[in-house]
Amino acid sequence: MLNQLLFDLALWLDAQQWSTDLHESYYVYNWVESTHVLTLMIFLGMLVVIDLRMLGYIFKDVPVSKVAERLDKPMMFGFSVMFVTGFLLYYAIPVRTTTSIWFRIKVVLLIAAGINALLLRNITKQENLSWDNDPVPPKRIRISAGLSIAFWAGVIMTGRMIAYDWWDCHKAMPGFMYWAAGCVNELAELD
Amino acid sequence: MDLLFLFEWIDTSMLAELSKAYGGVFAVVQTFHLGAMVLLGGMILVGDLRLLNIVMADVPAHVVLKNTERWVGYALIVVIFSGIFMMSAVAIKLYYNMFFLSKMVGLFMGVSFFYFIRKPLLNTDHSDLSPWSIKIVAIASILIWFSVAASGRWIGFS
Repeated sequence: MLNQLLFDLALWLDAQQWSTDLHESYYVYNWVESTHVLTLMIFLGMLVVIDLRMLGYIFKDVPVSKVAERLDKPMMFGFSVMFVTGFLLYYAIPVRTTTSIWFRIKVVLLIAAGINALLLRNITKQENLSWDNDPVPPKRIRISAGLSIAFWAGVIMTGRMIAYDWWDCHKAMPGFMYWAAGCVNELAELD
Repeated sequence: MDLLFLFEWIDTSMLAELSKAYGGVFAVVQTFHLGAMVLLGGMILVGDLRLLNIVMADVPAHVVLKNTERWVGYALIVVIFSGIFMMSAVAIKLYYNMFFLSKMVGLFMGVSFFYFIRKPLLNTDHSDLSPWSIKIVAIASILIWFSVAASGRWIGFS
């Protein structure tokens, strides 16, 4: 049901002329992709600094809140550009991307990273940050920061893997993989 | 000096056999390369943006630089080793690739600039330096590393 809905949406996007134009434009598409990767460095570069501070590996003599607040704006700038360019990359190749198992894992990891970031933000807002000046923050903060790095490392990995066609729908795969990747036509053939 | 012999040697090395035969290993190493680039870019950017007074302006610049420089070194080690592995898979193709040449020149400039100009210069008392020289160092550093990252990405398109 959800697979069919996503596939139909992808087909609708794919039928739009702008999607084709973007995909076929050598310079525009490649610059969008380059911008996506370069802003990844701005966003994740800042995030890694914040997470490493929360893990107690860096800026031990600077309060956690100060590091997080001061790097928030460039980080969100990077995220915004990365999000827009990411959508454009999806828009340029919607069908293959929708049916990519790597893209699907990437989206799940993005959601997990987002939830983790919200929880971390809630913890830091609820508490009076008695540990703000501690060189090494409490264990739950370190776990959350470690998870953040792990989730985003997963996002980088799965994002990079989208380019590989090992488990594309046209390849012979177990039925479960067709379902997980959303290969609607291949699943219908199996039935 | 023609370096084709070096690329030919890498192309026939054991490393190349491994990187050509196992696409999965290549992809994982590529992920490490990208992750290390993120770490490198982030640490360089935080330091340079601090020198430009854009981020962490209320934290002394020498504290920001001291904290980030160590991680630049770690990231560079991963970037270089993973890069050599990736290069071995398509060594001859890369020898003729202008973006690869551009990336290597940029990387050489970036590492030299970091270790022989930015680090020694900024390890001195910043009050002895003109604010404009500090800003020029930061902008030059951002531009050099941007060229490394951008030309690296364009290797894949060419």
